[in-house]
Amino acid sequence: MAQPQVLARPKVTTMAAKRRQEALTGYMFMAPALVIFLVFLIIPIGAAVYLSFTDWNGITPVFDEGAYEQVGLDNYRDLLLGEHTEADGRVVKATTRQRDFFISLKNTTYYVLGVVPTQTLLALILAVIVNQRWLKAKGFFRTAFYFPSITSSVVISIIFMWMFTRGGLINTTIGAVFSGYDSNSFVNWLDDPRGVIHIILEQFGVTRANVGDWASNRSLGLTTWEWLSGPSVTMLTIMILNTWTTIGTMMVIFLAALQNIPSSVYEAAAIDGANAWRIFRQITVPLLRPTTFFVVTLGLIGCFQVFDQIYVISSGGPAKTTLTVAYMVYQNGFNRSAMGLAAATAIILFVIIFAFTLLQRLFVSERANV
Amino acid sequence: MTASTTTAPHERRSPLMTALTVVGWTVLIVFAALEIFPFVFTVANSFKCLPAVQSYPRSIIPVPPFGAECQTETGAARSPGEVSGAVTFNPTLEGYEEIADANLPRWLYNTAIFAVAITIGRLIFDSLAGYALARLKFPGNRLVFYTILGTMMVPAIVLLIPRFIILKELSMLNTYQGLIVPLAVDAFGIFLMKQFFESIPNEIEEAAMVDGANRLTMFFRVVLPMATPALTALAIFSFQGAWNDFLMPLLILSGDSDLWTLTLGLSFLRGAYGETLRWHAFLAGSVLTTLPLALIFFYFQRYFVEGVSYSGLKG
Amino acid sequence: MRKLSVLTLVVVLALVVSAAGAALARQNVEITLMGWSSSTEENDALLAQVAAFEAANPDISVNVQLVPEYDTTIQAAFASGDSPNVFYVDSSKLPDWAEAGVLASGEGMIENLDDHYESLLEAFTYDGTLYCPPKDFSIMALQYNKDMFDAAGLDYPTPDWTWDDLRTAAEALTGENEAGQKVLGLVTPPNFERWLPFLYQAGGSVLNEDWTEVTLDSDEAREALEFYIGMVNDGIAGPPSMVDAGWGGEAFAQGRVALAMEGNWVISYLVEQFPDLNWGVTELPRHPAGGQASMVFTVCYGVASNNDYPDESWQLANFLTGPEGSQLVAEEGFGVIPPAISAADTWLEAIGPEIGEGFLAGAEYAHKWQFPVGFQDVFDTFNADLQLAFEGQYLAEDVIIDTIGVAEEVLAR
Repeated sequence: MAQPQVLARPKVTTMAAKRRQEALTGYMFMAPALVIFLVFLIIPIGAAVYLSFTDWNGITPVFDEGAYEQVGLDNYRDLLLGEHTEADGRVVKATTRQRDFFISLKNTTYYVLGVVPTQTLLALILAVIVNQRWLKAKGFFRTAFYFPSITSSVVISIIFMWMFTRGGLINTTIGAVFSGYDSNSFVNWLDDPRGVIHIILEQFGVTRANVGDWASNRSLGLTTWEWLSGPSVTMLTIMILNTWTTIGTMMVIFLAALQNIPSSVYEAAAIDGANAWRIFRQITVPLLRPTTFFVVTLGLIGCFQVFDQIYVISSGGPAKTTLTVAYMVYQNGFNRSAMGLAAATAIILFVIIFAFTLLQRLFVSERANV
Repeated sequence: MTASTTTAPHERRSPLMTALTVVGWTVLIVFAALEIFPFVFTVANSFKCLPAVQSYPRSIIPVPPFGAECQTETGAARSPGEVSGAVTFNPTLEGYEEIADANLPRWLYNTAIFAVAITIGRLIFDSLAGYALARLKFPGNRLVFYTILGTMMVPAIVLLIPRFIILKELSMLNTYQGLIVPLAVDAFGIFLMKQFFESIPNEIEEAAMVDGANRLTMFFRVVLPMATPALTALAIFSFQGAWNDFLMPLLILSGDSDLWTLTLGLSFLRGAYGETLRWHAFLAGSVLTTLPLALIFFYFQRYFVEGVSYSGLKG
Repeated sequence: MRKLSVLTLVVVLALVVSAAGAALARQNVEITLMGWSSSTEENDALLAQVAAFEAANPDISVNVQLVPEYDTTIQAAFASGDSPNVFYVDSSKLPDWAEAGVLASGEGMIENLDDHYESLLEAFTYDGTLYCPPKDFSIMALQYNKDMFDAAGLDYPTPDWTWDDLRTAAEALTGENEAGQKVLGLVTPPNFERWLPFLYQAGGSVLNEDWTEVTLDSDEAREALEFYIGMVNDGIAGPPSMVDAGWGGEAFAQGRVALAMEGNWVISYLVEQFPDLNWGVTELPRHPAGGQASMVFTVCYGVASNNDYPDESWQLANFLTGPEGSQLVAEEGFGVIPPAISAADTWLEAIGPEIGEGFLAGAEYAHKWQFPVGFQDVFDTFNADLQLAFEGQYLAEDVIIDTIGVAEEVLAR
């Protein structure tokens, strides 16, 4: 307010000083977070990147002389190309590593494609209903839906195992309701490697034997038929578990965003004679687009890294159908004495998640001007 | 409730609306039931003895006499085959006694300490960082922000050993601070707070600045009080994350069983018995693990949703 | 003045305490023992063993750490150079840890060699070096449900049973129980190590002596695998999940299978949780040509190569596995068999000879569960294929070809 009186020269210095002061304050405010991130995240991530170019076994003390050797891109080659060349020109095959990597990528992709849209859509629908004016007992429903989110993933995975055993709670309950579903036809939720798409195709009489020769073409270590398996029954169980646990968090976020939409917007639309569906399609959905972006991003990051549930329930089985990329990182690092390979697997996963988030952002922001 | 019904003058009770309402209720109730029923069975089965959990998990209504299914008249443990399959069961506290013997009170105590300390840390440091990223211009501002976001995308499992080595070098293994310090800041929280501070107007702070308050004082006196809703959301997310964390406690605390958290303890119980888990005790432990969080959430849920909405999670 | 005297007192006290502490520290060595947790009773028995050791060696104190997720925890400790002094080593992990150099050689350090089974010492020998004294072991044997055999009017299995007897019995015992649930003759987990006894009984092998060549491409391997898969495809055997169980012992305990091939870890589970189950145990059946084989799963006390107190560590390892330490565990009669031959009788008595002998007999001829570094890839491929073979999607031949391919690749790494 007193600015007009200030002389030009001192003003420049004050501005510069002010800017310097602000930057200093900024760093000061960031300092605790930066230090902790640096020590416990950035340095470990740097170490992982470094180790991905070595053959460290993850057991020999890492600072020991000769604990590892530099192997350049060999770990990445093993995973993506299925072989690498030693310094002496010897070609070392790694078909299994490549095959496992693409199996895990396939499984993870089916997992993400199944879980992310389902949980987003269900969360949105539930949030819209809970947000309705006519609804009584909002607090109850909010708590009910959020409840699974507050349980530990390890604990809830074990409880799901207990419920989904073949002779367990789920099957016997369904059996009690549907008379044809008895102990001889129970679905083996936790130990059935058959792909869901394969099962559905089989219902229509389509099997690998009669579908044609193209099904046996191999790419990246898997036949076309295997690529098209869909998630296995066991993976489906884990997908149900994860959808079930995260729906609440997503719903709360949607609900919060819905409550931010001023009621005047709806009232104006109602006066214009728009019906409920049009209001939802043309007002609610567009206004929620930024929130949707956030929810989908969180979902993508979480789903691509799915680990706890696999670790507890299936350890990647049956028949490798729940082997996800994050679980493969663990297997390579802790079961196979190949920490360098594990690090490389993790870096590739990071790149994939990053690319997906970026793509998603481009796709959403184009239409939403975020 | 009354307020919202009276402020609905434009509502038209068309048959379509009624139909929609019915569908809405149905969807809600079905999903609420689906979300809750595993807990109903968990709680019910935690009050059974082992044979009853194994052979008839579906009974959910407790009736006296107490513990009748657990032992035969001679006092021997019953085998699963002898447990009746009815909707009712005779409750017992066997599972809770067994889990209490397994040092559960200690695990509960440790978990509470960790969760509270980590939550306090995040409330302070995440909001400081979020504020700096939202309001203060400093070189590298955007770089810092995107780096923090990027760290969320690295699979935590690969960081286990590097983190362990760092903690060992800092002599922080098997200590309280060893778990608290690395988790006292998190990317999600910083993101949440940044979004919030960007969504609230700048004027109040500017006024305070003109009054000559320094940034830090102003932050604690003026900015944080305005941020209560967002802080509530952050507190719940943090508390819940810290309470349920598994990999970090495993890494940092396994060596000292006096420091174990609930998730570690339950995982230890599971490891000890392998496939032959003592389900009644495990389920009792799960109930006790979840209960405190459930109470906290139920109490704060109103502020929680408000907090998330004020935090302007708008992408 | 008053203040000063208080201060003096504090200083003097501090000096006394620290001097005493230093004197104690000189005498007292603390070593760490890391392992995984077993049942409460077994944990207590270990603590009792350690207490006996400390009583006999007052200058050594032992910090026992039983941890969850053992493999992950100890690997982090190794990698950071912070290894415990003494720790459990599963025979299947020995090659990895020996190659990584975290294990001290046991040559010349292990006492009571005569009192240990040859097959166990062999399981802890890698590349010609004996690394560690066995802690305890389990041997695969054949468990049978007496009531179900009686009901079917069959004779109980005997040690001279052959594959044909097994098949015939399994066929006769397959059916339904009173509740209308499927009952199988035999439970066959889809795991490499469960199939291996059949391979060895048939006279086959996975690798040659010095682990340089894969020897699975044999008639013996095909015969053994076709037999194993054949029983499943014919509906007289199946994996545990097929009969609503998490593992073989559970399927057996619930009466959903008549025969199981578990190790002695199954004893305490059956005795404690299913006291009414009427069961017996005998050696695994032989190949029709007479070949006899089983698997031994065993754990040893490894001593860290990076170790401030190697002598004390070996003292502890030797005590825990020696005659005295073994006796302490044997008396308790747990499922696992104590390592010292001299304690075998005590164990048999504690566990009941009828049950104990069926398991113990295999100690003479059991094969170790151990393969070269990186062989987990082979197990995983085999197990995955075996599951598909159980489903009828793969043939024994497909499984063998896949497995050989992976095994050769692993050896060439």
